[in-house]
Amino acid sequence: MSEKPESYEAAVERLEQIIDRLDSGQAGLRETLDLCREGRELVTYCSAELDAVSEGLKELKLDELAARLEPPSP
Amino acid sequence: MEDLPGPFPVGRYARKLQEELRRRARVRLVGEVTGISRSKVQAYFELRDAEGAVPCAIWLTDLEQADLPEGSLRDGAEIVIGGGPDYYPGGGQASPSFSFRATHVRLAGEGDLLARLAALRKQLHAEGLFELQKQLARPRLPKTIGVVTAENGAAGRDLLAALRRRGWAGTVVWGFAPVQDRRAAPAIAAAIQELAATPAVEAIVVTRGGGSLADLWAFCDETLCRTVAMLRVPVISAIGHERDSTLIDDVVAVACSTPTHAAEAVVPLDCHTARADLNRSAAALRRAGEGAVGSRSRHLVALARGPARALRRERVALNQKTREIRASSERGLAERRAFQRRLGLVVLSRAAARAVGAEANSRREALRRAEVAFRAHEPERTLERGYVLAEDTGGEPVTSATAAIGAGRVRLRFSDGAVGARIDPDGSEE
Repeated sequence: MSEKPESYEAAVERLEQIIDRLDSGQAGLRETLDLCREGRELVTYCSAELDAVSEGLKELKLDELAARLEPPSP
Repeated sequence: MEDLPGPFPVGRYARKLQEELRRRARVRLVGEVTGISRSKVQAYFELRDAEGAVPCAIWLTDLEQADLPEGSLRDGAEIVIGGGPDYYPGGGQASPSFSFRATHVRLAGEGDLLARLAALRKQLHAEGLFELQKQLARPRLPKTIGVVTAENGAAGRDLLAALRRRGWAGTVVWGFAPVQDRRAAPAIAAAIQELAATPAVEAIVVTRGGGSLADLWAFCDETLCRTVAMLRVPVISAIGHERDSTLIDDVVAVACSTPTHAAEAVVPLDCHTARADLNRSAAALRRAGEGAVGSRSRHLVALARGPARALRRERVALNQKTREIRASSERGLAERRAFQRRLGLVVLSRAAARAVGAEANSRREALRRAEVAFRAHEPERTLERGYVLAEDTGGEPVTSATAAIGAGRVRLRFSDGAVGARIDPDGSEE
């Protein structure tokens, strides 16, 4: 993957394009291998994104979050 | 200043002011009650909305005649009052004060609120504030979402449960705020603004349970709605029930009827489904990759086998040809041999014939040469050259002097005839 996708939805959209292209059977060997490599990278990215929202729901209160973001006073 | 009328005694002026105000038209006002307090004879409160407020007073006798439900005249209540402005000039010990003297009061009905809502809606719509949030991009899989709702409220719990059902387990930042009464709108607006200012927060949900329009009135607050409209973070609302429609529903990116729907809007991706889809995509990619290589490999193998097959084919053809040629050549050879045999016979016979002639000639020549040689060696030829052949009486050649002495008599043979001769041993010489 030359660059990180903008978002999960952008990655999925590109992945669907890749699979459509592969399903068309019009891609040559080199293109097919390149598309497969790009697709695998996108799958890895999407999987990581899903993992990031699957590790257990965390709850924070706004004031707690604000306290975290503020640097500690000397 | 000296050109102004007066100076008048202030007490007289105060009473004049009171008269002036009391002559003003009596009207109805609608707004929210705040700061209510009571004395022995009057109730005092402010009636306010987003744009301003008026101090109000009502005699308890008038209030009793209104026959409001017990406890309904409280802070946050939306009411309609009838009356007009008044001024209390005060006295020696009492402070003067202005108030709107309400003589009638009733709780605001749907009609009153809907009329105010319609006016606000028209105004905000005309300003284009309904479109701004809807133009924002909404992430399908936010990792962090902000939620503004009442602390320990059912709406928040419902939202959380719906998010869990979708397999979403990211981070929720709660912005708790009162969701009903006059304090609600500013607190909600502040919470939304703080959440929007937090970089990690990708979308915000504002939710509360159902209620009357008066209960939900905080979500029709003009300032709150203007604040939401200008945010760059998408806001999803789920206020009240399906039939309820507040002004904030018009300005947000997505208005939902329930917290469950809000969960679907703020995390459009069902994580369970997405995971399954992703696995399918991965499998499709694997198949495509393996298929592309596999089919081409098979093709290559087939191509690679092609020459071998062609060679085999050619070899078979060649062998066949060879066999044919061999058979043909054997036939030809046999014919040729037969021919050659025949030819050989002819040649041999001719050769033999030739050879016989040649041999005869050769022998004839040899004979001739032998004859010449023989003749050359004949004694007669020697005798002709002057030599004499001595023979004994028996006709045997006498080839030595000793033999001649021994013979005593010899016969000398000349080329033209023989003569007898006696041997004189005295005349012998060695």
